[in-house]
Amino acid sequence: MFSSVLSAAIMGVECFPVRVEADVSDGLPMFNMVGYLTSQVREAQDRVKTAMRNMGIALPPKRVTINLSPGDLRKDGPAFDLPIAAAILTALGYLEEVMVKDVLIVGELSLDGSVHPVSGILAMVDKAKEMGCRACVLPKENWREGQIIQGIPVAGVSTLRETIEMLRSGDFERFQLENPVGEVFYREPEYSLDFDEIQGQEAVKRAAVVAAAGFHNFLMIGPPGAGKTMVARRLPTIMPQPSLEECIEISRIYSIAGLLPADSPLMAARPFRAPHHTLSPQALAGGGRIPRPGEITLAHRGILFLDELTEFSRVSLEILRQPLEDRQISIARAMGSFCFPANCMVVAAMNPCGCGYFPDMNRCTCRPGDISKYLRKISGPLLDRMDICVEAGAVEYQDIAVKRKKGPSSAELRKEITRVHKTQEERFRGTEIRFNSQIPGSELETYCPVEKQGRELLEKAYKKMNFSIRGYHRILKTARTIADLEGEEILLKSHISEAICYRKADKKYWKI
Amino acid sequence: MENTGEKEVICYHKLHREYPRRLLHYVDMPPRLFVRGVLPREDRATVAIVGARMCSYYGQVQAFEYAKALSQAGVQIISGMARGIDGHAHRGALAGGTPTFAVLGCGVDICYPRSNYDLYKKIPEQGGLLSELPLGYEPLPRNFPLRNRIISGLADLVLVIEAKEKSGSLITADFALEQGKTVYALPGRVSDELSYGCNRLIEQGAGIACSVESLLEELGISPGKSDKLLIKSQIRLESQKNMVYSCLDLQPQNLNQLLEKIPLSPEEVMGILLELQLEELIVEPMKNYYAKIK
Repeated sequence: MFSSVLSAAIMGVECFPVRVEADVSDGLPMFNMVGYLTSQVREAQDRVKTAMRNMGIALPPKRVTINLSPGDLRKDGPAFDLPIAAAILTALGYLEEVMVKDVLIVGELSLDGSVHPVSGILAMVDKAKEMGCRACVLPKENWREGQIIQGIPVAGVSTLRETIEMLRSGDFERFQLENPVGEVFYREPEYSLDFDEIQGQEAVKRAAVVAAAGFHNFLMIGPPGAGKTMVARRLPTIMPQPSLEECIEISRIYSIAGLLPADSPLMAARPFRAPHHTLSPQALAGGGRIPRPGEITLAHRGILFLDELTEFSRVSLEILRQPLEDRQISIARAMGSFCFPANCMVVAAMNPCGCGYFPDMNRCTCRPGDISKYLRKISGPLLDRMDICVEAGAVEYQDIAVKRKKGPSSAELRKEITRVHKTQEERFRGTEIRFNSQIPGSELETYCPVEKQGRELLEKAYKKMNFSIRGYHRILKTARTIADLEGEEILLKSHISEAICYRKADKKYWKI
Repeated sequence: MENTGEKEVICYHKLHREYPRRLLHYVDMPPRLFVRGVLPREDRATVAIVGARMCSYYGQVQAFEYAKALSQAGVQIISGMARGIDGHAHRGALAGGTPTFAVLGCGVDICYPRSNYDLYKKIPEQGGLLSELPLGYEPLPRNFPLRNRIISGLADLVLVIEAKEKSGSLITADFALEQGKTVYALPGRVSDELSYGCNRLIEQGAGIACSVESLLEELGISPGKSDKLLIKSQIRLESQKNMVYSCLDLQPQNLNQLLEKIPLSPEEVMGILLELQLEELIVEPMKNYYAKIK
């Protein structure tokens, strides 16, 4: 008897349907698996056979052949255990062909017949809906995650026996939640940190608000202990909540990477990734024989924080160049080329020199050549991509000793930034652009009208300060965000002058 | 005189009549002197300006201003073309117009440090690059203190701008004292490590470099028309601008420090700082650090 069950495989961030076919025929008793499988998938045969026996279904002494089609796609992972079991049960007659028709099944089996969770559920359920499937059957632990995709019944099972009962009854909608996404999962995140805890550093705080409002890349330079990391860690708390579509997009990536938190299957906040500087290039870009998302993809629609920027290996840092422009990263492997989304905001912190105290000559112990050598670790093109750059100077004693009015709290700032994000959403409706930082050079004229005095200032500064064209564009984009924060439609002189103050730290600024 | 092959480099032997007479008084002077360009003139007053390589912005400005003012008064400036004070002294001297001379710690065909390539090109146009080391001689650390004796030997007066406790500039001052030259030091704040060496010299009896006039007087030159170092602010600014400007200093200050002093929002202060910068009243020597021009 022949049977076929629908399942799915993940390649990069894409999901592909896989047909699991089983054939039970006369011949010498054996169990064969074909279809370009990794050994992880090949091991399924022992799990399936044992789980079935422990459930009380003995495999008859016949020739069993399993095929996973399409045959040119490398299949990986333990998610095929359950569909293989279902296919064999159908071929043996325990289930009827109509019961499994158009039902997508995924899950890992354990020897006692219980079903364990797998990664990538969100993408799989989405694919099932797109293909017009009747329902999805998945491990109980993944069930909440599967609910996020609306418009397709999702059933969670915890044992192989439950799976059989579920498929026999065909009542997949029994446990469906009412509007689960809106009410249960999509809720405002809570933070234990707050922006008003930062003392002093007014200029850095202001720059952080501008960066968050326009999704600008942000570089902080300063001595150790000045509060750079503190500011960066509090950036997520002033970031507005992403839209539901964005949340699903983010969750999809985390689902594939197997990083979705067990209690909340929807990533309701923008991700904040802070990899350590020992990070390898593959871990940043995404790697493996079948590439898995790297840090830059995990930070998609969120923040990638690189603390101690100069300590990262140069190879790792240079990887950032292309994705920062294209907002996606394509990785070529023998298996094919994979494209991962990488639309993140890079926040970086670094010291001005090796000892960390330059230009405080009383404390800096670096030799003259050391400082320029230290800064050479960061390439010009990478610095060029930092829209906003500020110096976080050492905080003096009176700043921390004197009791003063606290600055605005995270909630207040988030409200303000939410307004700016809304303005941008309206401005760029119907285009690819989402934030001011993404305005292409050709459209700057349309989106960034400058008043007369501002234009004069720009011209004067352009001549005197030797900007590059890219630098000039960056100033306009940052000024656009500042104007949005002030609620102005046209860029005024004050917006331009503030933006110029944030221009990149040129190497000449450290010249002795 | 022997020609060493390269057209512009001339080697003067100790017995040559053009070998600097100033050096003949001392025992440990080099037997040969390689020169690219010309030798310092014997009949002109000569001042050596030396100081730390890792100097502050204040030191840079003072080295430049002193060198410029002295040079305008017709004084030849001698230094070592190193990073920091030396380089800025040469730049000031070039701005002043009188030829300037650099004594190198390597062969005169080698530009060290590379960052002073502009000086390496410009100094020999009117002045000269001098070295006791043969052509092609690498810049080795042990040769740098030695060339200091030539710097002080060629000068009538040695001015130390900034020096830490253990600084090569103090070696120059020691040579100068041994050679019987006058030593002046630029006073600095006692809390600054870079002022320690200078203040120490003053304590030991060195002259205090308060003004260019006092130096010129020491050299026997009547102070003519020259830029004053102490300038009373006569610049009229709008009140907010004035407030920001008056908080600035020759020592560069961080934006955050300024924001503490000035009761304006960060946006406003940044705007004013940019305007002052464009009006060339202040500079931004490092990212987000601001100082008065002079």
